[in-house]
Amino acid sequence: MREKLKEQLDQLKAKGAHYVDARWYPREDSNFLFMWNGNLKENNASSQSGLGVRVLYNGAWGFSASSDLSNPSAIFDRAFDNARIASERVTFPIRLAEKEAIVDSFNSPNQIDPFSVGLDEKVAFLQKMDAALNQPGVVQRFGMLEFVRKQIIFLDSEGSEIEKNIIEVFPSIHAMGVDKDGGMQRRKYLPGRTGATRGWESINETDFLANAERIVSELNQVLVADDAPNGKMSVILLNGIMFLQTHETIGHALELDRILGYELSFAGGSFVRLEDFGKLRYGSEKLTARANALEPNSPGSFGFDDDSVPAQDNLLIDKGILVGAITGRQMVEEANAKAKKQIFDGSSGANRATSFYRVPIERMTNINIDPGTDGSLDDIIANTKYGLVLDGDKSWSIGSNREQFHFACDIGWLVEDGKKKQVVKNPTYRGETLPFYNSLTAVGNESTWQVYYVENCGKGAPNQIMQLGHGVPICRFDNVQVGE
Amino acid sequence: MSNQVIDLLQKLRQAAINKGLQALISYHEEDSYLMRFANSAISLNTNEHLISLDFIAFDGRKKVSYSMIADPSEIESMEKGLDILVEMLPHAQALNYDPTFPVYEKDVVDERSYDPTLAALTNEERLAYFNTLAAGLESEDVKLSGIFSSGTTITAQISTATEHSQYFRSTDAQVSAVLSSESLKWEVNAEQSAQKKSDLDAEGLHKDLALLVKHYQEDEAVQLPVGKYTVVLGPAATAELSNIMAYYGMTGGALMQGYSFLKEEDQGKNLFSEKINLVDDPREVEIYAQQADRFGLERKPFPLITEGRFQAFMWDQDSADEFKKNPTAHDVSHASLVMDGGEKSVATLKDLLEMPREEDILYVPYIHYMNVVNPTQGMVTGSSRFGALFLRKDGSVQVPYNVRLTQKFSDFFGERVQWMSKEQVAYNVSSSYGRRNPTALKVPRFICVKEIEISHSNPSY
Repeated sequence: MREKLKEQLDQLKAKGAHYVDARWYPREDSNFLFMWNGNLKENNASSQSGLGVRVLYNGAWGFSASSDLSNPSAIFDRAFDNARIASERVTFPIRLAEKEAIVDSFNSPNQIDPFSVGLDEKVAFLQKMDAALNQPGVVQRFGMLEFVRKQIIFLDSEGSEIEKNIIEVFPSIHAMGVDKDGGMQRRKYLPGRTGATRGWESINETDFLANAERIVSELNQVLVADDAPNGKMSVILLNGIMFLQTHETIGHALELDRILGYELSFAGGSFVRLEDFGKLRYGSEKLTARANALEPNSPGSFGFDDDSVPAQDNLLIDKGILVGAITGRQMVEEANAKAKKQIFDGSSGANRATSFYRVPIERMTNINIDPGTDGSLDDIIANTKYGLVLDGDKSWSIGSNREQFHFACDIGWLVEDGKKKQVVKNPTYRGETLPFYNSLTAVGNESTWQVYYVENCGKGAPNQIMQLGHGVPICRFDNVQVGE
Repeated sequence: MSNQVIDLLQKLRQAAINKGLQALISYHEEDSYLMRFANSAISLNTNEHLISLDFIAFDGRKKVSYSMIADPSEIESMEKGLDILVEMLPHAQALNYDPTFPVYEKDVVDERSYDPTLAALTNEERLAYFNTLAAGLESEDVKLSGIFSSGTTITAQISTATEHSQYFRSTDAQVSAVLSSESLKWEVNAEQSAQKKSDLDAEGLHKDLALLVKHYQEDEAVQLPVGKYTVVLGPAATAELSNIMAYYGMTGGALMQGYSFLKEEDQGKNLFSEKINLVDDPREVEIYAQQADRFGLERKPFPLITEGRFQAFMWDQDSADEFKKNPTAHDVSHASLVMDGGEKSVATLKDLLEMPREEDILYVPYIHYMNVVNPTQGMVTGSSRFGALFLRKDGSVQVPYNVRLTQKFSDFFGERVQWMSKEQVAYNVSSSYGRRNPTALKVPRFICVKEIEISHSNPSY
């Protein structure tokens, strides 16, 4: 098959294509188990295979994909024809940033392939979790296990040839109960990534059982709690909400395709402008953010992106100043040309597609916040006059340019005079992105830092779901509007 | 076309029987085309042809499933999917209720939503459509974005219980065109849902865009003070709100899981404005309705709200099985929701702007990134986007920076409803995550609601 694909790459080059790449997925497997209130409602296996071809012709992209591999040349021809038509409406002819031709491979670090683990063992895990969650106060409970294994062969007309073998696991448990006012409340546990691997071995049963006990206990406190207060106050975001705050208002805001207007018809743009790089005070000096695709245990690490650019660790925000973006080969060239100066020194290796039948676009890798020097959670609370500790992503809604946001959390704890007090329910907060990050007054140390995964980040047209990660510490923001 | 698909399903059915399986076999085929625009260029032109198969095997209370994106030339690899079910089934855990195994009692072939001319739409026609809708409106600063998504979707089912099968074929198009200012970052849009080629109306979209661009270029931009406003919702806002309300509030599953803002005893109660009628109507071809659900139940008009009275919950088969309810033919990939029009003839944005008004009105065509803040209260939040206008009582028009609305469904569709357009439009809410699943609602062109709270107002575009 590889030889057939190479022949097709050569043929399209000969027909005038500037660049061609092919992503062949010989096989992608997934396995999803879902136990709700003791019932194994989903016990699903799936597989897919196919080919996606991207062609750059006269400054425009064409793409075609099919699961029918009986005639691969037809897929190449359709992609070429799509590019030919697209080239009839070009305003800025697409150029690709330089890169080396790479012949290499990437295997995600795993000790135990989850597909080698028997179904009985997986079901037994969920049954244990179900039993642990089946406690007084819990009226609904569920556990999920999702496993993905994909083999991707990438070839391009510049001589790159990369094979990737990636395994991911996504476990979680959830407990729900009815509060004193009749509202449904929820606590959940998605484990932070620890260790250097991401196979079946990363699912630690002891850890899950301890956290099942914790979330049931917290849920029962929420069920009898009063509503969170309204007004302006400090919020201390635990990892279970800080990862999403980072995702929505740093990650998406700094995708270069959004900044350049390539997502305006769907996901939206960004308040960031090209002239902001190197100058914009995004946050306080305590804020340093990076796109680190080298975290070993996260789905945001993939070896090489779908432009065949190697994974990297790049600063995005350095002590509060905006310095970088999430980029691929096409967008950095256009950004530099539009800015009439070199803002970006090559691709940051973040162009990814969710499957063989989608085209790569700028996606987050691991968008992390560096740990700070403000100590542990207890230290941060001790230095807080009045506010809320918040955890759990209940809902999120963000402005189309990522300029403002509204989050609801699963649980809050009141903080008064440096002391953590009672639990409160239905906490929400909102803000404008730049004032919010400039009110960052405390960043927890390494002990508070954890990598969380996101398995369902949506973007693009046609829409794509992507998996990635966020390594974040506990952070405190002051003067935040709470309770709307 | 249906013969090829049904032949394949019959072969797979026989293979399942030969392997001793009691199985439901579902087929999904999409031929998808998407031309995407950004910065006044075609940023991507793509097509995908994908065939997916879903097998569900039943053994008493045990149930396992296998899904695959299949190569149609490899029947052997498809049959291997059945082998995997044979391997999985002994390890499944029995449910504590009896799952229904589908028994199709007749053949169903439903191609009412299929239009061969839309299926055959060419790249050149998609480009010409966009060139027409944007003609004369682009500039150095005002750039065109958008999508023209169209395609054909085939779904079909068979089970090992009988030789009868179900086959559905539809065509759809979803157009979204955005004009935006690169310097100021305002953005306006016009959208269209189509089921047949003759639905496509590039001139109509051009008129809407031209009107909005004129206002955004010429009228004063304002940061509205937070507070309560009389709001007119456009079809995008109404469709998204109705769709989310029905999904979160009016399904039996959400009710039993405790997530609905409605309770079982609310059935029959007047909870909404008497102007509101909402029905799931499988007769509405233009919103891709289907005659039967996945379990072979014939779909009939299913009133959800009648003159403000909440009527009943929709029960899919699995929820009905688990909670011992009667299924309501809602094991479908999408409902076909229709909200009746009202009494006022306000058919276009121009009509709305020219209406005499006794108070200031905030026109919110679109609510961006809507999410449910509190499901049991039915509270949602989202921000205005794509062409909001502030229609002053004195007849003037201002352009408001985007605002955030955090309100309950009952605020939008309750007693605060003032008037609704007589005219209805189909609004396409399809997402292209995963498989093609054309989904649209038919809603009034405009709904006016008083006392909607703006909780945040942007200081700029």
